[in-house]
Amino acid sequence: MGGRRSAGRPSGFLANNDDVTQSSTDQKAQRHSDVVWYRNVRVLRLVGQAVAVAAVVGLVWWMFNNLVNSLDRLNINTDFSFLSRPTDFQIPFDEGFDPGSSVWKMVLVGVKNTLLAGVFGIVLASVLGLLIGIARLSSNWLVARIATVYVETLRNIPPLVVILFFGFAVFTFGPFPVLRDADQLSIFGNTALILSNTVWGIPSLIAGESTGLFWTAVLVGVISAAVVARWRTRLGERTGKPHHRVAFALGALLLVTVAGLLIAGDVYSVSWPELSPNGRRILGGFKLNFGFISVAVALGLYTASHIAEIVRGSILAVPKGQSEAANSLALSSFERYRHVVLPQALRIAVPPIISQYLNLVKNTSLGVAVSYAEITLLTRSSIGNGRPAPQSIAVLMGVYLVFSLTISFLLNIYNRRIQLVER
Amino acid sequence: MDPHRPLIEPGLEEPLLVVEPDGRRREKLPPRRWVRTRLFNTWYNSLITVVLFPVIGYLAYRGLLFVFVNARWSPVRQNLTLFMVGRYPRPELWRIVAQMILWSSALGLAWGAAVAGARFRADRAGMPYREDPLLARVRRYWALLALLGLFLVMTQSYGPLILTIAAIGAGAALKFVGARVPGPRAGLLWVGVGILGVSGFQIVSGFHGNGWVWMGAPVALGVVALLGRVEWQSPSRQRLVRFGAVAGVFGVAYAVYAALDLRGVGWDRWEGFHLNLVSATVAIVLAFPLGLVLALARRSSLPALRVMSTAYIELIRGVPLIALLLMSQTFIGFFLDTTTPLSSLTRAIAAFTLFTAAYVAEIVRGGLQAVDNGQIEAGQSVGLSPFGVTRLIVLPLALRAVIPAMVGQFIALFKDTSLLSIISVADLLFVRSLVHAQADFRGFGIAETLVFVMLGFWAVSFTMSRESQRLERRLGIGER
Repeated sequence: MGGRRSAGRPSGFLANNDDVTQSSTDQKAQRHSDVVWYRNVRVLRLVGQAVAVAAVVGLVWWMFNNLVNSLDRLNINTDFSFLSRPTDFQIPFDEGFDPGSSVWKMVLVGVKNTLLAGVFGIVLASVLGLLIGIARLSSNWLVARIATVYVETLRNIPPLVVILFFGFAVFTFGPFPVLRDADQLSIFGNTALILSNTVWGIPSLIAGESTGLFWTAVLVGVISAAVVARWRTRLGERTGKPHHRVAFALGALLLVTVAGLLIAGDVYSVSWPELSPNGRRILGGFKLNFGFISVAVALGLYTASHIAEIVRGSILAVPKGQSEAANSLALSSFERYRHVVLPQALRIAVPPIISQYLNLVKNTSLGVAVSYAEITLLTRSSIGNGRPAPQSIAVLMGVYLVFSLTISFLLNIYNRRIQLVER
Repeated sequence: MDPHRPLIEPGLEEPLLVVEPDGRRREKLPPRRWVRTRLFNTWYNSLITVVLFPVIGYLAYRGLLFVFVNARWSPVRQNLTLFMVGRYPRPELWRIVAQMILWSSALGLAWGAAVAGARFRADRAGMPYREDPLLARVRRYWALLALLGLFLVMTQSYGPLILTIAAIGAGAALKFVGARVPGPRAGLLWVGVGILGVSGFQIVSGFHGNGWVWMGAPVALGVVALLGRVEWQSPSRQRLVRFGAVAGVFGVAYAVYAALDLRGVGWDRWEGFHLNLVSATVAIVLAFPLGLVLALARRSSLPALRVMSTAYIELIRGVPLIALLLMSQTFIGFFLDTTTPLSSLTRAIAAFTLFTAAYVAEIVRGGLQAVDNGQIEAGQSVGLSPFGVTRLIVLPLALRAVIPAMVGQFIALFKDTSLLSIISVADLLFVRSLVHAQADFRGFGIAETLVFVMLGFWAVSFTMSRESQRLERRLGIGER
């Protein structure tokens, strides 16, 4: 009779049946033990699980055995020491990386590029998706129609094709000139923008001596802004007067930041892009290669169509009575959205939007098609020459799993908070 | 808001409500009033309209100029066959023609069976049954029809036109016949659909090898359904006869296939748009049962099953498909101790299947969670076994609820088949690079071929997503 589990986790009705039988009278318990063993639910459950586990373990063991055998046969080493050896290849558009750099550094460059494209894409997709999602519900027929056409077009085209369209039809074979006679745009006598079909140059900031001091001031500014916002909120709640907390907080932030800028002095200097004399590369500034632009813009546009649908769905999911209540309080249509509809809609929209972000980050792997040096492309091109495929792919999978587990961890925290609020 | 504006404007008639064929309601306003309420209802809307009209007009002008004047469609026009079937051996092209006709017949028969079944159910419930008018259907499938029309306009021979007419004719004829089958027998039509579908596949791949399993399955299902209608004295005898019949069907199928042994064109030589459609269909068909098992395992009360299935699902969902595809190409051979290496396409479809199964499992799990507990308790209270509750109550309810999401997953999978081009399997997108490798079209008409490829993917996905939205509405209406 021993093995009764008293774990608190509710399981299926089978387990509950068991518990009921056992916690009842002795007579019933007696009858329970009378059941032949091959009809006994508990035995069956154990046997079923044991069989399933054995099958899976057997499969995995068989595959692992094959793997070890194949690796032995092909004389491939099975450790991760290749990570510290040099890569012997160059990454296009990356000047800090030379053939002597280790595989480990290559992985870091890949992760950096994946995140860079992912972050730009996410920003673009969020802004555009929110705008288009609201536009689809506009009372203006033209606006609603344009938004619908956008969503229905972009949503139904493979993201890879969109990336290729930017990579080939817009850049490589597109309207932009080759780098040697690139379009240059000047502001204040400096070249501010260099547009070619492979790489764009934009001005960048170079950190000066007292950059650290400046950022400390910004941090202080953020903290003081938070304090000010809280003070204004309290004041507004106590007196009922308009609190203007956003204006006050931004003012505080601006004040402290400007003060920091003045005290620190030499914070950043601007580095202007400039075409090298032989016209083969861009000196100075920040260089955006066409792979990055294609991936970030294409994925941003593609994901925006999905986010727009989520935003629209969540706005429609807010009960109509809320809008009507706002109308009966004579709120303007902007105020109705700002204070009544959007806060409730966003609560519904955030989990699916975050999973779209995750999709976007995973989709940056399509940069392979436009030779954007993100982690998948680099892993693929590094395999071979003493860099074994199994370990390389294990590293690749590990990187993506870290991304996705981090994002779903944040999502779970958010969901838990929402649930607490609802209770 | 203007406080002086009357709530109901005097002198204007009430808007008419129009009920569309799919049950949606739409306001129908006279043109002047429509313009005023839909374009110029507030000052900012008027401003937006006035600014946007010229912008849209200009963009439309540039678009039309590109399509009809500037675009160089010759890379597409001269390679239409290549885009459709890739480097598939040309002497065997008749197989694909036959496949198109068979599949179109299967679709027509399926449609007919659905109509007959719906009419039967409506009659039984005492409701009038009304079919959508032809025009509404043409409007529903306009994207696909437009793609077909464009394709026919671009071809330089009459073959495709004749094929289209033959395929549509066969489908329409079978739909006509199927819809007139008396209701109680309409279910058996699905056996015909299955046989037509499988033979459409095998007329290209050949009637040999393991094909008998696939051909035997719909026939065996039909035989079981037929036997179910006979009254049996003892259940054990019924079970015995059913088992014997199924075994007999598969045995005959095996014998016939062994005797025929008609070789076809293996699927690793299927290419082009045809491959995109086929590989997506094959992968979703294979992924569905796997996903179902995973979902049930994840919801089961057995901890070992739950943990393993959760681990699998989360692992696969955390990794991009392209990484799985690359893995399947580079080193799946290390894991499988096979002497003959699998073809590149087979490995890719295995990766698609394993990937999609994880997503299907999550969709089905959503459906399982949505099943009302009362239903399960009702099943238990009439003494059904746990397996019976799952099979007879939970799954029918859950699977019906997830149909729209499954269509969505199929669309995603269909779009993902474009990734085949990255592992050098010649799908529609890869054929583009074959075209641009031709001496005439090197670096010529890059945007045009891409637009054509986009259109191909778009038309299919768009039509399916519209159908899934429609289905969602219909199912939603049914639940209320």
